[in-house]
Amino acid sequence: MYEFNLAGLLPYTGPLPGAVLSTLWLSALAILLSILVGMLGALCRVSASLILRFAGAAYVEVLRNIPLLVVIYLIFFGLAQVGLRVDGFNSALIALTLNAGAYMTEIFRGGLLAIPRGQYEAARSQGMTGLQLYRYVVFPQVFRIIYAPLGNLIIGIVISSSLASVIGVEEVTTWMRRAGDETFRYMEAFFAVGVIYVLLAQAINIGRIVTGNWLLSKAPVGARR
Amino acid sequence: MSPQVAAYWFVFLKGVAITLWISWLALLLGGALGFVVGMMRISKWTALRWLAVVYTEVFRSVPPLVLFFGCFYGLSFALQLDLSPFAAATIALTLTASALMSEVVRAGIESVSHGQWQAAYSSGMRYDQLFRYVVWPQAIRVMLPPSVGVYISTLKDSSLASIIGYVELTKSGLLVRETTGISFEVLLIIAILYFIINYSISLVGTALERRFRYVH
Repeated sequence: MYEFNLAGLLPYTGPLPGAVLSTLWLSALAILLSILVGMLGALCRVSASLILRFAGAAYVEVLRNIPLLVVIYLIFFGLAQVGLRVDGFNSALIALTLNAGAYMTEIFRGGLLAIPRGQYEAARSQGMTGLQLYRYVVFPQVFRIIYAPLGNLIIGIVISSSLASVIGVEEVTTWMRRAGDETFRYMEAFFAVGVIYVLLAQAINIGRIVTGNWLLSKAPVGARR
Repeated sequence: MSPQVAAYWFVFLKGVAITLWISWLALLLGGALGFVVGMMRISKWTALRWLAVVYTEVFRSVPPLVLFFGCFYGLSFALQLDLSPFAAATIALTLTASALMSEVVRAGIESVSHGQWQAAYSSGMRYDQLFRYVVWPQAIRVMLPPSVGVYISTLKDSSLASIIGYVELTKSGLLVRETTGISFEVLLIIAILYFIINYSISLVGTALERRFRYVH
């Protein structure tokens, strides 16, 4: 009978905190970059120019329909052959950013479309510049609409960052593979890493709910939902 | 396409077929399991509800790649059985898909307003009749479009089966890449094939959504 024995992993816990930090660092960079990509993408998708709208839509459709793993391979192995050598960490970061950026684009676009046209006109007729219009009228409302899907996507990015292990980036999933390979305690390593990912996801979830409550409490009464 | 790569067209084709097959299988199994978990989610017993929430949250939060390893190596060692890559991949994909499907099922059931439940009960219907005649006919329409999304997501996750040595589309590409030594082109072909498959499915999904949209 198999004996479940977490203690067998104890000699391997040394590199674990570093692995968690590496997962968080990769995810954090991907989240920040993909938010930028998403904002640009969303502005393209609602722009007046047909070419920009098409480019935005094509980007979203292509990246949403290709598995992240294939994107990672394409950047890590594919670009190397064309002469662009990108290391593991940066390949994973670029692939994650491109992938999450497509979903970010859709989230931000949803937020932008939820603002009625009349508010843009009203702000314009108050004499606001384009920048002021977005700063004071559009973004405060958009953030209230998108914080829930944004939270889910952020969890999704942390989860997807596990794929970086495939091209040798040191992070949590890589730790699991190594600890499993060296002790044959695969089930225990799987269990430990599963718990870590669930805790990370729930921490983000709680962060999202707290931020959401804070945002809503600052909103004028009419805007609460 | 360079001739060396084109010579392997049947490998790509077989990869496409296997990817479609395993993700379809996982969607069906995940749908059945997700149905059970979704029904637990609306059960009147708190313990069942909690179990369903924990199940959904866990299998949504654990990365599919980690699940693939857990199923292939973990289960094989823990249960002392020799799981084939196919079996392990099917289990892992089913677990992920079932967590997603349970949410779809729950949303579908909750889309039927509670007034209708009360109306059905006061007409003398039993629990099973309520579902058979009132809830499912309406819930199915709400559930179809997001199920297509789950299928696409499962199909993309099935690429991870390549890591444990199951020869589906991604692994086929990696094998051709190793044989021919041509990376960029082969991987680009794989990406394009995935895009064609998933985009077609999402077009079907949009058509379904339009067909089943109705006013409450």
